[in-house]
Amino acid sequence: MARKLDPTDLAPASGEVQVRGLDELMDSADFREMMKNEFPEDAAEWLDPVTRRQFVTLMGASLALAGVVGCNPSFRPAPARKVVPYVTKPDAITPGVPLFFATTWTLNGYSSGVLVKSLEGRPLKVEGNPSHPGSLGGTDLYTQGSILNLYDPDRSKTVMHDGTPSTWDAFKAGLFKLMSKLKDTGGTGLRILSETVTSPTLVGLLDEVKKIYPKANWVQYDPVGRDGARVGVKLAFNKPIQPVYKFDEAKRVLALDSDFVTSGPGAVRYARDLASKRKVRVYEGAVDGVGPKEMSRLYSVESMVTGTGAMADHRLPLKPSEIESFARKLAAELGIGNGPKPGPLPKLAEDWVGPLAKDLKDAGGAAVVVPGDHLSASVHALCHAINEKLGAFGKTVTFVESIEVNPGDRQADLKALVGEMKAGKVEALIVLGGNPAYTAPADLAFGDELKKVKATIHLGAQYDETAILCQWHVNEAHYLEAWGDGRAFDGTASLQQPLIAPVDDGKCALEVLAVLLEKALIGPLELVKANWKKHFDTVVKKGSFDLWWDACLEKGVVDGTAAKPATPGTVSLDWVKDAPVLSAGKGLEVVFRLDPTVHDGRFANNGWLQELPKPLTALTWDNAVILSPKTAASDGVKVGWPDFKWTGGEHGRAEVDVVELILGDRKVLAPVWILPGHADDVITVHLGFGREKIGQVGAGVGFNAGAIRTSDAPFVATGATVKKTRDKHFLACVQGQYAMEGRRPSRHGTVEDVEKGLPAYKEDWKAFDFADDPIVSMAEKGLLRRLLPGSPQELNRLGLMTPEESELRHEKHGEHKHDDRLIELTLLSDGPHPQFKTYRRWGMAIDLGACIGCTACVAACVAENNIPVVGKYEVTRGRAMHWIRVDRYFVMPAEDGGTKKIDRSPRQKAALDSASVTTFFQPLPCQQCEKAPCEIVCPVGATVHSTDGLNDMVYNRCVGTRYCSNNCPYKVRRFNFLQYADYATESMKLVNNPEVTVRTRGVMEKCTYCVQRIRSAEVEAEREFDIREKDARDGRPRIKDGEVITACQAACPTGAIVFGDINDPASVVRKWKLEPTNYGLLAELNTMPRTTYLAAVKNPNPAMPKGA
Amino acid sequence: MPQVYHKGFNSLARILVIGLPLCAASTGVSLAAFYRSDYTTGVREVVEQPVPFSHMHHVGQLGIACVYCHTGVETSAVAGIPPTKTCMNCHQTMWTGSDMLQPIRDSYRHNTPIVWNKVHNVPHYTYFNHSIHVGKGVGCYSCHGEIDKMPLVFQSKTLLMEWCVACHREPEKHLRPKSEVFNMRFKATDVYNPSTKSNYPDQITLGKDLKKGLRPDLGLDGMKLKDDRFIRDQHTLTNCSICHR
Repeated sequence: MARKLDPTDLAPASGEVQVRGLDELMDSADFREMMKNEFPEDAAEWLDPVTRRQFVTLMGASLALAGVVGCNPSFRPAPARKVVPYVTKPDAITPGVPLFFATTWTLNGYSSGVLVKSLEGRPLKVEGNPSHPGSLGGTDLYTQGSILNLYDPDRSKTVMHDGTPSTWDAFKAGLFKLMSKLKDTGGTGLRILSETVTSPTLVGLLDEVKKIYPKANWVQYDPVGRDGARVGVKLAFNKPIQPVYKFDEAKRVLALDSDFVTSGPGAVRYARDLASKRKVRVYEGAVDGVGPKEMSRLYSVESMVTGTGAMADHRLPLKPSEIESFARKLAAELGIGNGPKPGPLPKLAEDWVGPLAKDLKDAGGAAVVVPGDHLSASVHALCHAINEKLGAFGKTVTFVESIEVNPGDRQADLKALVGEMKAGKVEALIVLGGNPAYTAPADLAFGDELKKVKATIHLGAQYDETAILCQWHVNEAHYLEAWGDGRAFDGTASLQQPLIAPVDDGKCALEVLAVLLEKALIGPLELVKANWKKHFDTVVKKGSFDLWWDACLEKGVVDGTAAKPATPGTVSLDWVKDAPVLSAGKGLEVVFRLDPTVHDGRFANNGWLQELPKPLTALTWDNAVILSPKTAASDGVKVGWPDFKWTGGEHGRAEVDVVELILGDRKVLAPVWILPGHADDVITVHLGFGREKIGQVGAGVGFNAGAIRTSDAPFVATGATVKKTRDKHFLACVQGQYAMEGRRPSRHGTVEDVEKGLPAYKEDWKAFDFADDPIVSMAEKGLLRRLLPGSPQELNRLGLMTPEESELRHEKHGEHKHDDRLIELTLLSDGPHPQFKTYRRWGMAIDLGACIGCTACVAACVAENNIPVVGKYEVTRGRAMHWIRVDRYFVMPAEDGGTKKIDRSPRQKAALDSASVTTFFQPLPCQQCEKAPCEIVCPVGATVHSTDGLNDMVYNRCVGTRYCSNNCPYKVRRFNFLQYADYATESMKLVNNPEVTVRTRGVMEKCTYCVQRIRSAEVEAEREFDIREKDARDGRPRIKDGEVITACQAACPTGAIVFGDINDPASVVRKWKLEPTNYGLLAELNTMPRTTYLAAVKNPNPAMPKGA
Repeated sequence: MPQVYHKGFNSLARILVIGLPLCAASTGVSLAAFYRSDYTTGVREVVEQPVPFSHMHHVGQLGIACVYCHTGVETSAVAGIPPTKTCMNCHQTMWTGSDMLQPIRDSYRHNTPIVWNKVHNVPHYTYFNHSIHVGKGVGCYSCHGEIDKMPLVFQSKTLLMEWCVACHREPEKHLRPKSEVFNMRFKATDVYNPSTKSNYPDQITLGKDLKKGLRPDLGLDGMKLKDDRFIRDQHTLTNCSICHR
């Protein structure tokens, strides 16, 4: 097909520019140079430390040795192996058949139910538990990465005493000695420091500690910082309650610096609830989503760009100091007369308030305002007042009795504890998990004070910064090794059952407390069971406890344990008189956030999560000072702008300026990253990096932003300055890798577009042209649709559309003129595989409107498919191995009509205006083309089609020519340039999925649609040939829709990915593909991709000011 | 000018014209033969085991069923090597003093598994599934040979890919009624065909019937046309991802 290749024509008619990074926007010389190369610049070149000559020598030697090997029995096709059977096989286990166990994963005190796959006693993969309200089957990326921590070779493996290895018995003896002293004084000076605890059993034990040692004190601290939320509730209602949001009920949502879809308690559930109202469906046979009229509208006011902000229909970048003013102004506009006075606001924000308030009010109670966890207590209290005013209580916001124990200002508690430590009042400090020496604000100097405490005990999974300062360190058991329990965001309790005995004899918090309570002979299982026996006796009362217990374990959820609903009462505004008067912030503001992949640093030694590109910035292996283009260009800062030599080309190596970030008398050196859409005059830095005491993966990675964090301003600090240094730093950023320049890969429209097209779409597919390729002619668009697997036109062409579907779609057979011109133009001689009519056609559809860019899919893929970690150096050379990537596009209005003229100033202006930038995500796995360009160029047939249309990758045939990658328009193929898979570390062998080949050097690999899952479902179905229902098409035993779920699909919190058989009229994937918003990426290349996308649909408010 | 080549070169050239291709061909043939030879593939090579377990004795003479020990063969990808407990079911009362069984008793007493040497090794990128083969009616014999006559087990087939693929192309050569899967003495000509009222003449005829899902072992009831796609077609069975992932 003829394609106009003049780049000036590439901008779509909608008048917008869609770019991956600023260098692409600016069309810098370096960017053009990079685009000329077909391969990432260095990826194909020999730049390894070994010289070519050395290499040839080595190869000569190995060839000679190959001859020797030929005379060796190991020349055989397969090496001889050992088989080790059980001595006594447990009844439930059939070797080779995986089992799934329900258990509980807890992060920052809040639990989520998980189902963990176990093969012969080895935990392999974590999936969400569909029965658990906090998961509903989805997971976040931490959950996916958590399994690697179990096999981390750098885990703390033994009890340590004063820096030397010791034993659990010695620890117990030491603790007994300490206890005898403490008991005489009633526990004076005994302090227990834990992270947020919701576990009912652990809380019970801590209460008992309080009974035995009445003068002891328990302090909770974790660096997440939900203090504003806790104290805000206290201000507003003065009772211990907690809000639970219902986004599936909300028509209008305002996220006030809140990234509720990817962080905080219940994020996975909230993401799913929100997305359920934002998947716009037009096709009458749709099984999910909502009609365009019922779509919810999401506003986001935030400083950093987040997943919530990217999904929002209107996003306003605002400084943290202005966000509070914005809330006050909004409250006033909504008629809360006696609220606090707002400070000055920028013009755009002023313009926002009126229409926003009206829209929220018009929703009639189906609106909700969600404040960010780190915002001050007064904003939280005010938001409760706003929600009350909106009539949201009981509809979109419900309140439950506090799930957390002793909710309060944790930061202040920690400060008080450190004060006591300083004053020598602390006799013994037991740190139950967490790493306060690293995570506590720098001015508290927690580590220094810790040294002064007479007796210190640390329980942790790593021998970290805190552990090294404590007299005793107890190696903590992983959550898959220990008994326990926890509560979800709505209070629902679930049990944590171990899947494996502690590998290094680790202990859990329950065991340490049991020693303190002289219950050391009672194991953690008995402790948990005893606690739930109490619950059973008082609440359940019916039947046998053992049966009830087994049922709870199996389901993974204890039914009926959701926190009791609480009546909030009216919101008090008494606190208003004490609310500070707001003034315009001076200087740069600094926002401290936990890192989106390594969290507070606890995952810093987790290679999967370190290498996972961070949502929005696409950085790996580093954190940075993140600022907006305008701030970067401003006088005091002047970094990067405007030449953009360095924003990271296709090779993923970005050479950036290093700046000195000064806050008060503290400073830190950090690389700079410019993020379009970020609020101006604000810097976002992520905590969790620059760890000093950590294993081989996290050592020397990033800078410690916590070094400038103080307890007065732990989340937002003002008055920072940035000084540019002459240093440069290489960041590994994958944002520019595999760019599809100018082809508008991520398509989107508005509810208005959908409604406009709605009356006509059944007869006229042109009605939804926002989902179509912008640069091909109308006639060609029609042909493309006839070739796109699963599209109504294609099903029609193959005669696969059911009469019911034709009825709903009004597609008439033979209506379109038959023209197979595009098919004839292919290099494959036989046209579309004839068997595709009757065989299963596996396909995938991804709803771009529901993608929040959280990268949980990438993490899940890594865990499922044994994807190796390559390290920062290799990432900077375009060699990251992820099979699915989440492309992120910045969309800016094109004031010059979108043409790429030599004059850069209009584009520069667009980038400088953060408020006009919108962000879209596009997950990109292998598209499994029916006419795969990779297949025809492989000289050895290492990538070929299966009859069900999978683009099979045969590792054992691959000789590493990389022609396939060269010819892949989507650039989804990954090559093992070096020996990336870890064959050396014993413990790392255990994490590998035995159903998937571990690839060696020199082999190409790519997404397989999780073929191992497809084939095992097929084997099961074929085995049950006699008893299973048969498929009408081919007589094969039916595999029901949903029986095969890919790893990415399973993990996705919003359910943005569906997978199934396109030929099955009952499959969800087929229903998605029948939507008029369905399009194939680069389908104009005649690849007939099996993975298609549903264009994102936004629901903008026409009354809002322009440019927002 | 003297002759550059001696007269003898004529005959040498003639010999070479025929000899060189012959030489090349025979090298190829011998390499191919070497590749398939017992030496390289390990066929008929007895593998040493910690306990010299005799299938001949246990299966051939005592008649213990395959699934008594290989419990996973109908449900799992791996047939499964029996746990020590399975040995001890009998051997805690029989041959309790035998030296040969000392490792078994040690294993049971100390709860340490016995480490067996795998006889049938396939490359790690190949995923063989026992359950589907057994479920479709491929006998143990087809891959493992006359295991009931082996005092010590050896590999009886090459396990080369060509050997796998040959059967995936023409499964009818190896199919047998499900009731006969574990039968080591099975002959197609012993199977009575109720529709012709005589025994099957050969394996292919039987195999073709079985491929269609017909079950002669169930009598006339089983001969009603069940489904002519009981076994998937050869295109599907030879898809790369059927065995390689």
